[in-house]
Amino acid sequence: MEIKDLLFTLSGKTGIGSITEAQKTAYEILGEYLEPQITDDFNVIGFLSGKSDYAIMLDAHIDQIGFVVTDIDENGFLTVSNAGGIDIRALPSRAVTVHGKQKITAVFCSTPPHLANGDTEYTDITEIKLDTALGEKAKEIVSIGDYVTFTGDCFPIANGRVCGPSFDDRAGVACVLELAKRLSGKELPVNVVFCLSNGEELGLRGVRTAAFSVEPNEAIAIDVTFGDGLNISADEACGLGEGGMIGISPVLDKKVSQKLISVAKENNIPYGLEVMGSKTGTNADMLGISRKGVKAATLSIPLRNMHTAVEILDLGDLSAVCDLLESYILSGGVSND
Amino acid sequence: MTDLLKHLCLIDGTSGDEDSVREFVISQIKDYCEYKTDNLGNIICFKKGKKRPLKKVMVDAHLDEVGIIITSVTENGFLKFSVVGGIDTTALMFRKVKICDRVNGVISGKPYHLLSGESRKKAPQTDSLYIDIGAKSKSEALELVNIGDRAVLTSDFEVLGDNIKSKALDDRIGCLVLISLLKEDSEYDFYATFTVQEEVGLRGAKTATYAIEPDAAIALEATTAADIPSSADDKKVCCVGKGVAVSFMDKATVYDKEYYKAAIGSGIPCQPKAAVAGGNNSGSIHLSGKGVRTIALSAPCRYIHTSSSIASLTDIENMLSLARYMLNGIAGGSIK
Repeated sequence: MEIKDLLFTLSGKTGIGSITEAQKTAYEILGEYLEPQITDDFNVIGFLSGKSDYAIMLDAHIDQIGFVVTDIDENGFLTVSNAGGIDIRALPSRAVTVHGKQKITAVFCSTPPHLANGDTEYTDITEIKLDTALGEKAKEIVSIGDYVTFTGDCFPIANGRVCGPSFDDRAGVACVLELAKRLSGKELPVNVVFCLSNGEELGLRGVRTAAFSVEPNEAIAIDVTFGDGLNISADEACGLGEGGMIGISPVLDKKVSQKLISVAKENNIPYGLEVMGSKTGTNADMLGISRKGVKAATLSIPLRNMHTAVEILDLGDLSAVCDLLESYILSGGVSND
Repeated sequence: MTDLLKHLCLIDGTSGDEDSVREFVISQIKDYCEYKTDNLGNIICFKKGKKRPLKKVMVDAHLDEVGIIITSVTENGFLKFSVVGGIDTTALMFRKVKICDRVNGVISGKPYHLLSGESRKKAPQTDSLYIDIGAKSKSEALELVNIGDRAVLTSDFEVLGDNIKSKALDDRIGCLVLISLLKEDSEYDFYATFTVQEEVGLRGAKTATYAIEPDAAIALEATTAADIPSSADDKKVCCVGKGVAVSFMDKATVYDKEYYKAAIGSGIPCQPKAAVAGGNNSGSIHLSGKGVRTIALSAPCRYIHTSSSIASLTDIENMLSLARYMLNGIAGGSIK
């Protein structure tokens, strides 16, 4: 599968809480190259053996942001709480999917024109009710605790750029799956662990147990970072189409970051640097302090409109990330240092 | 009926750019009435009935929908825009748009993670938003779009129980009801108008009414239903599924009292539009020439002027019944 088809297929599936469509799809794709497993906490993990005991983990999170139903009223309106970071400014009048006994579409209430004062402000997500349009019948389909996710199709825009929901972090997942394809059948200098971890958006949860059980020496979190836009300054965001962003941060392993840079340079692979003064907000923060410690790094894909149903990325960046990771693994990472 | 409504709603027709909707409506009605298109683009139809009417009645629905117009392109290839008709900023942010039915884009703004404190909760000014079509420069963007191009917020048409969710329910519901009236045998001769530019100041209806010089008019519309939990009972205006909304007064019109009473007393499920808010083509129609006795019949519609408006199929069926009842009553003289 081309990386674009891989991304679109993955982004069309749901992966939140106990809904594991995305994990099952990734498991099947990964199964073409190795023998993966889905753990009890819905991480998907697979291995390729190399010539040494040294193990490098490639991690991307497979869960997505969404909502959870906390109340259902007699008129078919739901109260929801966010599961992951949500921009409440963009919720009113948005259609979403409620994962009840069956999947249904519902719409977040918007302020009616005659009640709008021109200065819309929301204090809490629970104020913005979700309309099933099913009246009292809503309770037959929806239960408290059901998940809700953004609805939206994946589609191309200009310049090989694409748009869709859940690219955070199905883009990273697509790269990890692509790496399994590229590396399977090759003679590898190190063991490679492919980890698609659950629960990142709820506090880096899945990677915690995954790293504990796998005990890698080194780990690279492949996630998204803020893409550029109008009136977004260069120190806030990364340009699209300039390659993957290699993270530099006090919580990341300096040698791995430097090695990623030198491998990119040697192989003429485009890359950028994402310098952070503290934690990275990615699974790498958890990976670094697993067990006796793991040399952790980040390689990030610039993404516009993060945490919306219309996330935008440049497919060229995905290719650059895959190229860099392939060369990096084949170089043995920092196993010889 | 649902299929026809779906087809009508999914056509793009921002005010001043109604050509595609007009063509489709003409394809539906051409075998059932005489029609012509005027200089503004209104369709003016004459339906021959079994009998000659005592009063010349005009029934109106508008073709256009709210949308977006591209106003300029930035050096880095983003499109700036103005809204055409009233659209709330929250309904615009992070939505997919289709420009001229051709180019995909996304209305973008600064993500909330990059904002601080209070600004995370406040809808930004519409003029801080822009459309991202993937172009990297102004010249690249201008190869794909033109200044002045129209765009609409895309949406799926979906059936939710007895209700439907779509863009452009305002006023393709009116178009659907009016097409249905034209397709059936009529008791009396009447005029039907499918008008342009309603959302930018009730403009098409001005010239159409001038041309017809009717005695009476029925405007078929979709109107705000605020029957949502955050609205107090006295602010709900009307409720989806509780019948056709009949107007007595809004910001544009004081409606004919006898017609209002006749509609409310018809026995067909209906409800008063219980607020003096909004306005529709009646504003132009009732002041045309020497004055036109006018009534507006509307489908209650939640989240009106957004890409996810919700209305009831039963209300729409009742709207057809009530429109037929009022048309026959006024034309035949039983409604004085």
